[in-house]
Amino acid sequence: MNPDPAGREAAPREEELPDREETASSVPLRDKLVFPVLLVVSIVVALLIASLFLEFTGNSPGTVFSAMIRGSVGSASALVTTINHMIPLLIVAVGACIAGRASLINIGLEGQLAFGAMFGAAVGLALPAPGFVAIPVILAASVIGGAVWAAVAAAFKYGRGISEVITTLLLNFVAFEVISFAVNRSWLLQESPSEAAYVSLNPQSDRLPDTAQLPFLASGEGFRLQFGIVIAIVVAAGAAFAIARLRWGFRLRMFGFNPRAASRFGVRPWVIGGSALLLSGAMAGLAGGVLLSGHVMRIRTGFANNYGWEGLLVGLVAGFGPLYAIPVAFLYGALRAGGGVLAATGVDQALVGIVQALIVIAVTLPSLYMIYRSRQRQARAIRDRA
Amino acid sequence: MPPEPANPGDEAPEEAQAEPDQHEPGRSEPEQSPNASAREPRALLTVERATKVYGRIVACDAVSLAVDAGEIRGLLGQNGAGKSTLMKMVSGVVRPDGGRVLLDGSQLPPGDPIAALEAGIGMVHQHFSLVRALTVWENVALGERGRIRSAEAIDRVVEIGERYGLPIDPRARVEDLSPAQRQRVEIIKCLRQDPRLIILDEPTSVLTSQESRVLFDVLREMVNRRGCAVVLISHRLEEILRATDRVTVLRDGRAISTIATGTATAASLANEMLGREASLEDEGAAIGLVAVQERRDPGGTHEGPAEPADRAAASAAPSDAEEAVALQVENLSARGPDGRRLLEGLSLRVGRGEILGVAGVEGNGQDALVELLSGLLAPEAGRVMVSGREIPLGRPDPHSTIGVIPSDRRESGSVLDMTVAENLVLNQLDRVMRRGVIIPRLVRRRARQLVRQFDITAASMDAPMWSLSGGNQQRVVLARELSRNPAVLLAAQPTQGLDVGAIEDMWARLSNVARDGTAVLLISTELDEILALADRIDVIHRGTIVGSMDSAAVDHERLGLMMGGQAA
Repeated sequence: MNPDPAGREAAPREEELPDREETASSVPLRDKLVFPVLLVVSIVVALLIASLFLEFTGNSPGTVFSAMIRGSVGSASALVTTINHMIPLLIVAVGACIAGRASLINIGLEGQLAFGAMFGAAVGLALPAPGFVAIPVILAASVIGGAVWAAVAAAFKYGRGISEVITTLLLNFVAFEVISFAVNRSWLLQESPSEAAYVSLNPQSDRLPDTAQLPFLASGEGFRLQFGIVIAIVVAAGAAFAIARLRWGFRLRMFGFNPRAASRFGVRPWVIGGSALLLSGAMAGLAGGVLLSGHVMRIRTGFANNYGWEGLLVGLVAGFGPLYAIPVAFLYGALRAGGGVLAATGVDQALVGIVQALIVIAVTLPSLYMIYRSRQRQARAIRDRA
Repeated sequence: MPPEPANPGDEAPEEAQAEPDQHEPGRSEPEQSPNASAREPRALLTVERATKVYGRIVACDAVSLAVDAGEIRGLLGQNGAGKSTLMKMVSGVVRPDGGRVLLDGSQLPPGDPIAALEAGIGMVHQHFSLVRALTVWENVALGERGRIRSAEAIDRVVEIGERYGLPIDPRARVEDLSPAQRQRVEIIKCLRQDPRLIILDEPTSVLTSQESRVLFDVLREMVNRRGCAVVLISHRLEEILRATDRVTVLRDGRAISTIATGTATAASLANEMLGREASLEDEGAAIGLVAVQERRDPGGTHEGPAEPADRAAASAAPSDAEEAVALQVENLSARGPDGRRLLEGLSLRVGRGEILGVAGVEGNGQDALVELLSGLLAPEAGRVMVSGREIPLGRPDPHSTIGVIPSDRRESGSVLDMTVAENLVLNQLDRVMRRGVIIPRLVRRRARQLVRQFDITAASMDAPMWSLSGGNQQRVVLARELSRNPAVLLAAQPTQGLDVGAIEDMWARLSNVARDGTAVLLISTELDEILALADRIDVIHRGTIVGSMDSAAVDHERLGLMMGGQAA
């Protein structure tokens, strides 16, 4: 209203053109350098702390680290062990990525993995069939099982508005109880006494027929490379493609970044959010199925063996990028393999856990920092431009 | 100390241009003269040259103010005039960049809400600060120190309620209360501290007129009984006239005048609030509006009665109205999820090539109208026709013939984390897909085309949207919406938060859109924007259109009255 030439004319001088130039050219380069440097620094720090720990408890850090390296990448068989561990981690991580891209936190992957495997085992035991049928059927059943378990959380979220963080977490425990119930009931999945070679303290189901076992890609002295790695990589590549190039993926990202804008453009939350949760559970279920028909061959309590939790971590560290999850899953697989060898050398299991945890933290922190930083920068950009 | 050190205008040299009309007889008077005799020697609240700058925007420019004990002071001004900022500085929520606040002669530490509270300044905010899941007494007791005894707290609520005529059930849960009741809780919460100065920020925006009257009676009661002072922030003329003793008008961050309410009329206040008529055009010239108008109308006549006729002739003959009407909104009524009435029988029509400006004070149904036309809100009654055909409502339609520039371009107009290119094709993925797959090459090609066409400055097509300046972000939104060739463009607050250059650019673009034959529905709380762009002006108040006028013959007084909710 009031003419205010002094105030208004001053404004354009502060135009943010130079600022934008800077954002454009220099920052991405700095971004590319910050992450690896940070990663190296934090791993070195973690190893130092781990060394102090080992030294303090009377172990030799040198021996421990060399055992871990030997056990993970030191030989062909160690490498294969690492890759075999990597398979379920990567498939679960893909599931975490799909949910994460929709800004949904599915922390029920562990339970979905186990629940899916239970489905797979039930179907595989009920329908003895030749391998070329049995394997796809078992995998499909596992996928469905995982999706069903995630669907429960999706129904709570989009039916009653209950946060998926809570439901997926709690459904884990329900899934473990359901499995425990099933493998303790003779009329369900409990191992038949005639087959039990020994009385297992850990209740379990019958072993799947050999025809249900996935083939091995390669085998040699003391190692067998599982076919699952092919499935895992195909799944990761497929998810990356779907997220980047399909209409569904575009809407998934749009919804994850800004649900309000997405709804303005016709994205219905329950369709995209629900499908993301279901697919994420389906991936966990697939991981369970691959684990089942890859080498475990039966469902039992404790089947998931933390693959679900660690797979979630892999997805997080990979910034919910399925392709980035491949190397990250390899690293986590290596930690598992190395830890196994380390434990075999007589180092206390608890110490092995601590060393592994320190490395996990060291690898995770830089990614979290990068996420934090980009949020900060974005907030600043928005503030400056307001 | 003198209650008002000086008329702020006298001290600020840059205000010289605006100065002459401020002393127009019968409208405003400098604060010192007429009321000095009736006043006590020292004011309860004194604000001296309080200044607050947000980035490039001077929200408060050396505002001085003196409020006496026993007084209800109105603070009147348009959106963004600086009313809330001023009072937030008084209550310590906002730290001033300059100037000081004194209560009863002693200076308050700047930017310290606790000190202000302890000194006796209570504020009832526009947006309630209640915990919905807690009960009334719990909310009132919240923030108290030491052990809280529920029985005492409950008694206290009942007692305050009885004393000031604010009855409320202390055990009721806040989420179960109506907006008016919630406000009552806010006021009780404020009174609980025995404040000497109570500030109410737009208290009636959630109230019906009956409830407002009750509130004003309560305020008068408080002032009479306790000798405290009340500052009532409002942009509703009617309630300022009804409830206050004196009124201070703020405009563009400056205190323009302080008038004894008895000597004011709705018309004089409206003029004070909006500024003199000439200043609108001056400003238009100052920030390049003249150029806009030239672009829009190469004939060269900026204003004047000839122009609308030209434009009407250019777009379509007024006789075959059915042909020319691009957007017709009939009798829309809608309620919010909380049951509040948002729209009540709103009707309007926009012709092809016409810009209809919907003016009004914020919160009178503008958001609901935008949401409705975007398909995000389903109406209770009424219908919307585009080019003579009724369009489905209540669901976002990707093929809608209405392009929307939402008022919150960051919140729902764009996806800041996606790239510029992705934001440009958000709603037309089919264009860049082959056999169900998005082809990045096509995305980039399409984006480059739009970037060129709309002069968007971006480091690259793949730069994230958030790295763009506000003006460029808004151009991305405009480009995307227009690239679908909509029959109607709905622009809500299209220049909010933009700098002057970007505002000018956006205005020119919107004018061009209309010139190309699109109907433009411009919803804005910035009156100068409406006056600069619109061919016709509808005024929205409490969810319905209360009046209409041709922009060539704007009667500012009437416009101000209508925006303030006065029948005119």
